[in-house]
Amino acid sequence: MVAVVRSSFEDVTVTHHASQRRAYLTLVLISLFCMMPFFWVVLAAFDPKASQFLQIPQGVTLDHFKNIFANESGMRWVLNSVVIVGSATILTLIFAGFGGYALSRTQAWWKRPLLYGIILVRIVPPPALIVPVYKVMLFLNDWVNGLINQFTADVEQQQMLSRMFSFIDGYLGLILIHCAMQLPLAIWIMKTFFDAIPKDYEEAAALDGASQWQTVRHVLLPLALPGFAAAGLFAFINAWGDFLMPLMFTSSPELQTLPLGMFRAFLRVDAIDYGFLTALAVIYTLPAVIAFAFARKFLTQTFSGGVKG
Amino acid sequence: MSNIELIDIKKNYLGTEVVKGISVTIEQGEFAVIVGPSGCGKSTLLRMIAGLEDISSGELRIGGKVMNHVSPDQREIAMVFQSYALYPHMTVEENIGFALTLKKVDKAEIKQRVKEAAEMLELEHLLQRKPAALSGGQRQRVAIGRAIVKRPKVILFDEPLSNLDAKLRVQMRTELMRLHREFGSTVVYVTHDQVEAMTMAQKIIVLHNGYVSQLGKPMQLYREPENTFVAQFIGVPKMNLLRGKLQGSNFYLQSGQVVDIGNGFTSGNDLQLGIRPEHLKLQATGAQGGWTVDVVERLGVESFVHLHNATMEQLVVRVEGDCELAADMQVNLQIDAASCYLFDDKGQRLLRKPVIEQAAG
Ligand SMILES: Nc1ncnc2c1ncn2[C@@H]1O[C@H](COP(=O)(O)OP(=O)(O)OP(=O)(O)O)[C@@H](O)[C@H]1O
Ligand SMILES: [Mg+2]
Repeated sequence: MVAVVRSSFEDVTVTHHASQRRAYLTLVLISLFCMMPFFWVVLAAFDPKASQFLQIPQGVTLDHFKNIFANESGMRWVLNSVVIVGSATILTLIFAGFGGYALSRTQAWWKRPLLYGIILVRIVPPPALIVPVYKVMLFLNDWVNGLINQFTADVEQQQMLSRMFSFIDGYLGLILIHCAMQLPLAIWIMKTFFDAIPKDYEEAAALDGASQWQTVRHVLLPLALPGFAAAGLFAFINAWGDFLMPLMFTSSPELQTLPLGMFRAFLRVDAIDYGFLTALAVIYTLPAVIAFAFARKFLTQTFSGGVKG
Repeated sequence: MSNIELIDIKKNYLGTEVVKGISVTIEQGEFAVIVGPSGCGKSTLLRMIAGLEDISSGELRIGGKVMNHVSPDQREIAMVFQSYALYPHMTVEENIGFALTLKKVDKAEIKQRVKEAAEMLELEHLLQRKPAALSGGQRQRVAIGRAIVKRPKVILFDEPLSNLDAKLRVQMRTELMRLHREFGSTVVYVTHDQVEAMTMAQKIIVLHNGYVSQLGKPMQLYREPENTFVAQFIGVPKMNLLRGKLQGSNFYLQSGQVVDIGNGFTSGNDLQLGIRPEHLKLQATGAQGGWTVDVVERLGVESFVHLHNATMEQLVVRVEGDCELAADMQVNLQIDAASCYLFDDKGQRLLRKPVIEQAAG
């Protein structure tokens, strides 16, 4: 009797194992399929004879990368992207820090409507915003260029300043646009994060003799670090991947960002250089991965135990 | 000089008055305990002294200086929060030394003073830990260390022991009293636990619904409560109150039973007789005693006998040690006339006329 019972029990476990194994196998296949394009990109980027097919490279070469930086303005695209997206992220974090804190602590009646208003901005698809935003930017652009022309008569200086501060076809405009696009989510993340930091810490700091700035510097900022990491990561990755805004608001080649450079390279009529494109794609992906690795350190940092239970 | 004067202090939250006009003076170096039931405005009052809450009207003076509009970081007050509020990203050492770091005190001196505080609170071996790795009692001690390291003139405590287990609470009570003796700071201590108030305070301030119900030395409140609220709040188990009327020296309960409470009171209807459980004596009788035993709580040193009479009025009697009573037994009460209190129907204490006291003495 006992033996019979046991054998049927083992049957059950065996089929259980088998079904689990089938499930894993399926999952592995699906993930392999999904990762195929990435394999191809990485392999092709180092393949001297890159083609549109997934193939084992005959050798390893860095020629494609050299080509990007030597023959094309690759360095310029990377720098533009890093400067614009980096500044936008920092700006976003500053605004989101202040805004999120204020929205977390205030008891005013307009708190909820404002919060939902903010998220509404995020819901509108960006292309729908292009025309009104362009209009506003155009207006500001005229004003700024007027100022620049008053400031200096030297044409070269005018051009330089205009590149920096123009709202259209200038760094400032792109930075502000990116910042505005990323701000709603960042504010929400920071607001939620500050909600979880009890007011007691600030009050304790005040009684310890901390001024407002010292409270921010020594207590709030360290406690909010994981929140800033999360908000910053989202802002950076979203802005880094954005293609529409640089396309709309820049025209001069000096201002091209990585996605634009890549897009234009892809559009060239002569034969498509897969090695060149995939190498560019690798470069394009790298900062996002680095940003993630960097933020992860702070994201997993949790502070607890300061207040009871 | 660091006495604390509250002059007709009031607090409104969006129209509802929470603290309704409090005037109290806490002397320099005094250990004052604010006690009252939940929601009576204790924390609000304390936070107004700390500067964390605006004062709606009235005047607050610390050491003679008006403090109403001085920000908390300028008041030179330390506070121990109910939630401890230890900075979770700092070690115990950094937590305790934070106030000194802000003041740009010399590093070596900070280390020295933190060490002293830690020794006093037996925290030396924990200095490098983060708050998350501490037990409740240890966190509590760090919070106290953070307060005393500044050597403040005034320390405020908001229910600091309420998260500790009973044994630790007793230990921390004596610890706090010892610290107070050593430092001589003025202490304002908020609690809802009358035992803490009785054992630690030099002055108790009983708050009730945003008013001061009574204030004075612990035994003064115990012996001479001014109203039924204080009478029942101070002392465990609480004072028994029985409704009835007084004729001469005879107090008639609703059940018709008569208690002789002695001379000196004015006769009247709708009165309340107050008598503490420890002033009642039981006379076990086989015969009809008028009181039936409900429950007997035996604590070892003492027992509390809960009784009721024909009209279901309740009484608690304290008995030394054990007693041989069980539920539904009939007992008789012996009431000492001298330890009876009389209150009017609004709960205000009525006093004996002094003439009679002279006659008695
Ligand atoms: N920010 C606020 N807004 C409105 N009402 C408040 C606010 N803070 C406290 N109150 C009210 O004020 C009253 C007193 O609160 P307080 O915190 O001082 O009570 P407490 O005596 O400390 O009670 P507990 O023993 O429960 O801590 C309560 O009725 C509470 O609801
Ligand atoms: Mg409270």
